[in-house]
Amino acid sequence: MAFFEQHIHSEPKTFISKYIFSYDHKVIGKQFLWYGIIGLGLGGMMALMIRWTLAFPGEAFPILGNLLFPSTGGVVPPDTYAMLFTMHGTIMIFYAITPILIGAFGNYLIPLQIGARDMVFPLLNMLSFWIAAASALILVASLCLPLGAAAGGWTSYPTLSTLIGSPGAGQTLWTLALFLLGVSSTMGAVNYITTVIVLRAPGMGYFDMPLSVWGLWLTAILNAIFLPVLGAGLLLLLFDRVFGTTFFLAGAAATTGTGDPILYQHVFWIFGHPEVYILILPAWGIVSDLLSFFARKPAFGAKATALSMTSITILSTIVYGHHMYTTQMSPLLTQTFMTLTMTISIPSAIFFANWLGTIWKGSIKFDTPMIFSLGVVFVFGLGGLTGLYLATVTTDLYLHDTYFVVGHFHYTMAASVLLGGYAAIYFWMPKMFGKFLNEFWGKVHFWITMIGLNGVFMGMMIVGYAGMHRRLYNPFVYEFMERLIPINAFVTYSALLMGLGQIPFVINFVYTIFFKKEKEPVSDNPWNVGTLEWTIPSPAPVYNFKEIPVVKCGPHELGNPNLPEGKDFQYQTEEIVEA
Amino acid sequence: MNQVMTNKDFEAKQLTSSIAMIVLLVSFTMLFATMLLGFSVYRLTVDVWPPMGMPRIPLTLPMVSTIIIALSSVALVLFESAFNKHNTKAMRVYFALTYLLGLGFMFVQWQLWNSMAAMGLQASGGVFPSLFYALTWTHAAHIVLGLIALLFLLPVSMKGYSMEKVTWVQNVSKFWHFLGVVWLVMFIVMFVF
Ligand code: HEM
Ligand SMILES: [Cu+2]
Repeated sequence: MAFFEQHIHSEPKTFISKYIFSYDHKVIGKQFLWYGIIGLGLGGMMALMIRWTLAFPGEAFPILGNLLFPSTGGVVPPDTYAMLFTMHGTIMIFYAITPILIGAFGNYLIPLQIGARDMVFPLLNMLSFWIAAASALILVASLCLPLGAAAGGWTSYPTLSTLIGSPGAGQTLWTLALFLLGVSSTMGAVNYITTVIVLRAPGMGYFDMPLSVWGLWLTAILNAIFLPVLGAGLLLLLFDRVFGTTFFLAGAAATTGTGDPILYQHVFWIFGHPEVYILILPAWGIVSDLLSFFARKPAFGAKATALSMTSITILSTIVYGHHMYTTQMSPLLTQTFMTLTMTISIPSAIFFANWLGTIWKGSIKFDTPMIFSLGVVFVFGLGGLTGLYLATVTTDLYLHDTYFVVGHFHYTMAASVLLGGYAAIYFWMPKMFGKFLNEFWGKVHFWITMIGLNGVFMGMMIVGYAGMHRRLYNPFVYEFMERLIPINAFVTYSALLMGLGQIPFVINFVYTIFFKKEKEPVSDNPWNVGTLEWTIPSPAPVYNFKEIPVVKCGPHELGNPNLPEGKDFQYQTEEIVEA
Repeated sequence: MNQVMTNKDFEAKQLTSSIAMIVLLVSFTMLFATMLLGFSVYRLTVDVWPPMGMPRIPLTLPMVSTIIIALSSVALVLFESAFNKHNTKAMRVYFALTYLLGLGFMFVQWQLWNSMAAMGLQASGGVFPSLFYALTWTHAAHIVLGLIALLFLLPVSMKGYSMEKVTWVQNVSKFWHFLGVVWLVMFIVMFVF
């Protein structure tokens, strides 16, 4: 703990050193936040175009359609549809959720919550953001190519993603962009892991870290280990496309090749399954902390929660085969992967029970961050339960690649991670910007989002269960699907509702940061919680801590009956009050 | 950092950078491990190796590479110990030796690719040559990175020992030895078997 103390930063003077090429983890965090929110908007527009096509085939997409697809009179053309779902998935996962949870809150929270003045490698941190920015630029630029952007799905399976499946440069740029992003994230991971190990404030053991830091740290470890696996797959794919190697080409697709498209799937999912935990772990950590803060109770079984998260992290590395039951795997293997996957339910159940234990009999304060956190508990429960059907070989054989899958992963990744991210934004806003987001509009935002997303994702599961296949351009070519039209239309209306529901948030966010004047400055600790970032002024000063704090107790010391009258929490820098 | 480093600061800095370097090397290990996994899958599932109509790549050049890279690692170890003993003259010699051997490795690699081309093995000629090209390309790209990293030790070898540079020396040499080990594994898995 605290192998050394960093020097106090001097204040940057110029605009460029302050906002553009900043070394300050707090500024880099905010850069990632904007980056992610823009990604969310872009990916969201694409989702709406996909949904519009499914519910109203042959009708022009309103307003933007004529601008974007003049040749078809505003209707989304089939090849563009494939591009849309590919870019939607890619942008949402890698350019929206990842930067918000890991880029923004990883950067912002880790040093503040462990009592450090910055990351250990500030320069590396800055480079990591700018490489990510370059990667986004490449990806977005690929939308303007004559043959269009990548269209092989966010997984980019060969043969769809080889030169035979997608001859344009879009797929090449996609591969390049993701490789670059991998480099950026690995740099971030090295920084996060090292920072947590060497810069924890004196007295702070691993179990004294807030669970948010636990989640972010485990995520960083998964990133460091598994991003290079994707990197290798992408490199080979790039070689196939650029230098004519034949790793992933087989049969008629190859000229002389004896390659194997299934190998790509193995490599992709060895990375891909941990990746879904990379996305969810920070949200789990943040929610675990917030539930305790707003229930005014210590997190129930905090140590068990941290250990469950750790065991899930470990287990997540050996279950990837459940994505590939339909690839003629030997039954011996499918059964093994099924069993391993089911094993994850045990630690998941433990910490899910801990969440419930935390709010049980708490004096819950329903502020916006809390209702978002409760939303996470709800949607993640649903997402987790539906996962069991997909982990079971016999049911997956039927459900594989239907909208049921789409509904399931949206509940876990999209819904719960997104809500977790929003909870974090509403909660740390005063520390980040020195101002509160408007509570009323926050609640409006929550309820519209919650109703919208349940409509969308529940609907997706229903049409999927009825047999509707994913990535289908026109759902009405099969007779049985005509009867699904009403549900599909309902899903689309829900998606529109959810999309509209983000407008209050964006306005609230932009207005608060740039225009709102607080009547009196936000206090150091407006939520009355004890973690280290609340011991310093809001917004946090450049050097974070004038004096490096000395930690004496855990992060969730709330509601201790021995505390003096009128006080119900303790700072981590205070000795625990005993009777 | 103009102020003199205290001993404690120095140790902390060293520890920090070695933790970071280890994490980084784990990442690189996974990159190469994945590629070698791919290699092994093809190797183990094919009926005959090399596949029909493909010549086996002679061992000579890879063997020479292996010897060169091993020697360069030895030279770098000697450089490190000269550095720690503040022996600037020996440092210069061993630095030059390491660097030349590194360049020599790249040269032999180049010859290997030429000889493969001469045998009719093109990168696009099926998965067998693809594997050899892709893995050696990736490794060679890292050697180039390593050679660039070694350049950062050039000022050190000119000026001699300084406490501030200890972590530099340690980290660059960790990376360089790592590349040597990766090549050794590649040599055994890809060329010998
Ligand atoms: C606004 C809410 C959203 C709606 C209405 C929505 C809708 C859709 C639709 C219709 C598809 C196409 C499914 C298919 O045809 O295969 C899709 C795919 C996908 N979405 Fe979303 N989505 C939303 C948010 C998100 C978020 C936040 C994420 C981030 C984790 C996400 C990740 C994905 C992924 C990974 C795919 C798969 C793309 C592929 O087929 O390769 N979505 N989404
Ligand atoms: Cu999985």
